[in-house]
Amino acid sequence: MLKGTLDMMILRTLVAGDAHGHTIAKVIERTSEEMLEVEQGSLYPALHRLEDRRWVSSHWGVSENNRKAKFYRLTAVGRKQLTSETSRWRQMARAIALVMGEMPSEGGNE
Amino acid sequence: MSWRRFFRRRPADAELVQEINLHLAEEIDENVARGIPPQEASRRAYVKFGSPTKVREQAWTRNSIAPLETLLRNVRFAGRMLARNPGYAFLAILTLGLGIGANTAIFTVINGVLLRPLPYANAAQLVHVDLTSAKLGPDPLLLSVQEVRDFREQNHVFSDLAEYHAMTFTLLGAKEPERVATGVVSGNYFTVLGVKPLLGRLIVASDESQTAPPVLMLSYAYWKKEFNGDRNIIGRTFEMNDRVHTVVGVLPPLPEYPDANDVYMPTTSCPFRSAPATIANRDGRMVTSYATLKPGVTLAQANSDLAALTQRLALQYPKSYPASAGIAPLTAAVESELTHAARPTFLILLGASGLVLLLACANLANIALSRQMQRSREMAIRMATGASQWNLFSQLLTESLLIALAGGVLGIGIAAIGSRLLIDYAARMTTLADGIHVDGRVLLFDLGLSLLAGLLFGVLPGYVASRVRLTSLSDSGERTTGSGTGTRMRSILVASQVTISFVLLLCAGLMLHSLYNLLSVDPGFKTANVLSMRLSLNWTKYQKSETSRAFFHQALERVQVLPGVQGAAVSMAVPLNSDMGPMKTGVLIEGQPVHPDEPLPQIDFAIVSPDYFRVLGTPLLAGRPFLASDAVDAPPVVIVNDRMARRYWPHENPIGRRVAFGSEKERKWATVVGVTSDIREYGLDKAPTETIYFAPDQAGMSNGSLLVRTSGSPMYLAAQIEKIIHQIDPQQPVADVRTIEQIRSAQLGTPRVTSVLLSLFAAVALFITIVGVSGTLALSVARRSKEIGIRIALGATRQNILRNVLTRGLLPVLIGLAMGSLAAAFATRVLATMLFGIKPDDPSTFIAIAVLLLAVAVLGCLIPARRAAKVDPMIALRTE
Repeated sequence: MLKGTLDMMILRTLVAGDAHGHTIAKVIERTSEEMLEVEQGSLYPALHRLEDRRWVSSHWGVSENNRKAKFYRLTAVGRKQLTSETSRWRQMARAIALVMGEMPSEGGNE
Repeated sequence: MSWRRFFRRRPADAELVQEINLHLAEEIDENVARGIPPQEASRRAYVKFGSPTKVREQAWTRNSIAPLETLLRNVRFAGRMLARNPGYAFLAILTLGLGIGANTAIFTVINGVLLRPLPYANAAQLVHVDLTSAKLGPDPLLLSVQEVRDFREQNHVFSDLAEYHAMTFTLLGAKEPERVATGVVSGNYFTVLGVKPLLGRLIVASDESQTAPPVLMLSYAYWKKEFNGDRNIIGRTFEMNDRVHTVVGVLPPLPEYPDANDVYMPTTSCPFRSAPATIANRDGRMVTSYATLKPGVTLAQANSDLAALTQRLALQYPKSYPASAGIAPLTAAVESELTHAARPTFLILLGASGLVLLLACANLANIALSRQMQRSREMAIRMATGASQWNLFSQLLTESLLIALAGGVLGIGIAAIGSRLLIDYAARMTTLADGIHVDGRVLLFDLGLSLLAGLLFGVLPGYVASRVRLTSLSDSGERTTGSGTGTRMRSILVASQVTISFVLLLCAGLMLHSLYNLLSVDPGFKTANVLSMRLSLNWTKYQKSETSRAFFHQALERVQVLPGVQGAAVSMAVPLNSDMGPMKTGVLIEGQPVHPDEPLPQIDFAIVSPDYFRVLGTPLLAGRPFLASDAVDAPPVVIVNDRMARRYWPHENPIGRRVAFGSEKERKWATVVGVTSDIREYGLDKAPTETIYFAPDQAGMSNGSLLVRTSGSPMYLAAQIEKIIHQIDPQQPVADVRTIEQIRSAQLGTPRVTSVLLSLFAAVALFITIVGVSGTLALSVARRSKEIGIRIALGATRQNILRNVLTRGLLPVLIGLAMGSLAAAFATRVLATMLFGIKPDDPSTFIAIAVLLLAVAVLGCLIPARRAAKVDPMIALRTE
């Protein structure tokens, strides 16, 4: 996974509402049609990092399965950050696409 | 990284564990729901998640502050090491505590006296302005009222100039009639100093006019002492010089500068200063002045401006500024006047205590080095298990810093007590001693010094330890491999210790020698059993010379007949009185040629009653003493001292020769009737000057001191004598009741304390050094026991071994002595101003100290050397 994109995707996931770590991982996997498999261990350091930057806040609640869980919520600063990251990502994706142009169907390594 | 997270690491970790557990539980649930068997479901969940421990570690590191972590770990470890060696820890902390404490105590004095700003708003610009006369001597000439006016009006360098002089007057209206030290000041004096009143108002320009009602300002100390700090004092009236004075203000606590005055009055209130004759007389130099420099003007510029001004005055009034006198202006910063006496003493003491601390550090480094050699195995193991050199170094440095900081805490306590003991001592040299107390700057100094000391004694052992080699792990007896550096370092340390202690011992030796010289000075009279008291007469009451004469006659008559009194005399001043300098006057000596371009011989003069020399026990060398018949209308007579007689009548009999004083018109000739031996009038350290003595009846005396020789303890009679004085005049104050012996020991006080302090430092230095010398040698003997055993087995005699070990032990001592004598040549020069009767490079002291140090070092080396000679070759060879 590209560096920095995990943070962006976590923030994007939280737009839908508060979620705990497992839900976030699941949502990313499901919406990417299982293409992106979050290295689940690295999710937590990322969440804590975002919390340190005050892009997300956390509170304890009860999970769907009635377990005590730590829920993360997008803060106003985080929302702003998400907007700017998204637009930067779009520019980047477009730029890369332009460079790559038409791809030979069976060429290259990937 | 944040402080909050750093201290919340444990709860944060617990939360993280909870989060991870929840995550895994949810994942397992999902897997199970998909129909995977529970065990496999759990396995897959863990595989997908990765290592929970790794995640926790990552979070932990993220929340840590690495250097702080290391520091805390090092501190904990150092604490454990020290707790395991309480003896070493105690000794080290005590040594450093004493060293840091002594330094901090002395710094407290320096901080209070030299570093603290003066309590004057204009302190930096404030200068003392006076005239000097190069040809007549170093003492200032003072200024006349005319000169003050000229200086004030014609200078280009001062923003303002104020006039000052001190008098004593009798103040009536307090509990008892009292002689008060009075500062007589111009209206701008306090604004020039930059002082605000504590109560009421200052003396201002409008007070300085003949028609203004007389006003007084009280000094803080006098207000506290006499009126218990009564805030209603403003407006109270007192009678002085037959006039009613109103108190208008109280001054804040200020240094006793220029004098310790009780009250202040404007110049117009002083009957002497305001007399028209005084004002008109350009030669009547009785006042001094203080001025503030204009911004940007230096002392040197001020001096040259005034020099030009004085030259103009000299052209205008040639008689008042004879070329022969070499009259010139002299400006000096008030700040340096207040501190110059204390500065060298305390800087020298700080230097000495600093050296002692350095020595203590060297010794601790030495001890730490030997501990290091014992711990080299431990260090090698730690290195083998992955510790870096820096790890080991910082670990050991933490240990020494911990000791040093503990020493610093102890040092603060010692400084708090020590500085209190030093206040009286400092007060002899400066009037700023009130400002001595432990403050923030002192605490900072203590902390800085502790850290420095910790670094100083920690760096070397740390360095040696970090260079430990893994070979010391092998059991091949290669214990010396890692410690060759250590032994060499120890020898260097010993040599520098010897250097430092030699310098300290030499300084102490010089001070003690100088003190001994002072103690054995013959003041020219017998100091024991003489009581003195000051009787300054109220000038308004004793305006006529007959009345003052009658008073002194009556006092002498009544005191002389008291039981226990062997003799009584009055004189103008008390001998050994260092508050005063010589009062020289030009004297015409019959038969001596007079050069018109040169000033007359300047001779000190004194007024003494007939029994003076008998009371003091000063032998009369020729002629006769004063007699009762040397009365006011009898032919004028004088007595000269030996020095005067030898200088002006060498190989001749001075008896019968004549001397004359005063201006040409009213010149009076007096006959020399006696020659007395020399007396040190102005202090033990001041050589007697050429002196002429007058009889009080013929010279007139309004301020005198009563001197009484008693058969028993002099103070015993003090109350009785005071009662007699009050019988003669109930309003006559009696001041400064002291024995001459007290005056003498007060003069010895400062050099005595300086010598004691320096000797104390030197003794500690000597002790530390000898411990270092013999300890180092003992260790090297222990280390070399195998080698010594082999030598003995091969036929070396005990003497050979003894000599060999002694030579080795004394080599660093000799090197240290050589370096010490070089260093001492510079170091002792700073002592020069404080020494009496001895040069700073006095060879006898130098040799004596070197021999002492060497002798003690030999003694210190003898014990380990004898142990080496007793080595049993069999045992030595078997043990290794």
